Amino acid sequence: MLVEFEQIQKAQAGDDAAFNQVVVAYRKRILGTIGRLIGRPEDVEDVAQEVFLRLYYSLDQLRTPEVFEPWLYRLTVNASYDYLRKQRRRNESRMSDLSEQQVMMADAAAGGRVSGEEQRQKQVKELVESLLSEVSEQDRILLTLKEVEGLSLKELEKIYAVNENALKVRLFRARQRVLNAYEATKRAAGRSRPEKD
Amino acid sequence: MDQWNKELSDLFSGYRNSMPDRDPSATFMPELWRKIELRRSLVVRLRNLTRVFVAAAAAICLVFGMLAVLPVSHRGEMNETYLDVLADAHPPDNLADIGIIHEATDPGNR
Repeated sequence: MLVEFEQIQKAQAGDDAAFNQVVVAYRKRILGTIGRLIGRPEDVEDVAQEVFLRLYYSLDQLRTPEVFEPWLYRLTVNASYDYLRKQRRRNESRMSDLSEQQVMMADAAAGGRVSGEEQRQKQVKELVESLLSEVSEQDRILLTLKEVEGLSLKELEKIYAVNENALKVRLFRARQRVLNAYEATKRAAGRSRPEKD
Repeated sequence: MDQWNKELSDLFSGYRNSMPDRDPSATFMPELWRKIELRRSLVVRLRNLTRVFVAAAAAICLVFGMLAVLPVSHRGEMNETYLDVLADAHPPDNLADIGIIHEATDPGNR
């Protein structure tokens, strides 16, 4: 926990200064998580503000301060999911370009044409985001929380309020889908790369 | 398959490294509080609007209730029969106009 339980209890009781301190303690972590969940740096702050806004108006529903972090993660997941769903609707017309874009990115990542660490990171980021776009918004978020954020199954169980076995099955299927997309992308990149003499 | 799996895991950890936790901008907290205040004022406005609607509905109910009660108090005065009303509408003097001759009840005229 990044804040004391008393701080959360004060915020629950309507103390705005205590709520402010809670936000200050968690905002960096939440911004990072949202950035990795939605993959759009320009909209991260808006989604994070939505998370804290929902927190402010739902804090009285929190039964015990012990479950504060899973609660905050759940709000983060829900706000990110809402954002991604809206975004998908907006981007539907552009989806036809995706496969070609994927091939180009995979080709660049696999072709060894990277110039410096920053360029490599950018390519990794774009490749992972295009792979994650192959699964539903829900699976994208779940997979990111597990594989990228490094949350344990126990933590995910608290966030999603479902049993561990159901989560394992969902994670396995989501990972398989991403893996298949990765394989297909790599194969396509291998085919599109000109052969060396 | 194991190789793909390992590559994918490496990609995920590379993704984590390429997007570290970030600091918020200077406007993050003021903007958050502005949104909180905006929603709070919206809730207050909605609550006030609800109160006005409830008061208006109560007033309308009261008016309709009174309108429903008042005619009942007049009904007591309507104790005339249908024939009395007809007789009032057509006085004996005008009966000749519609072809009915009024006979005098005086026995001496017979």
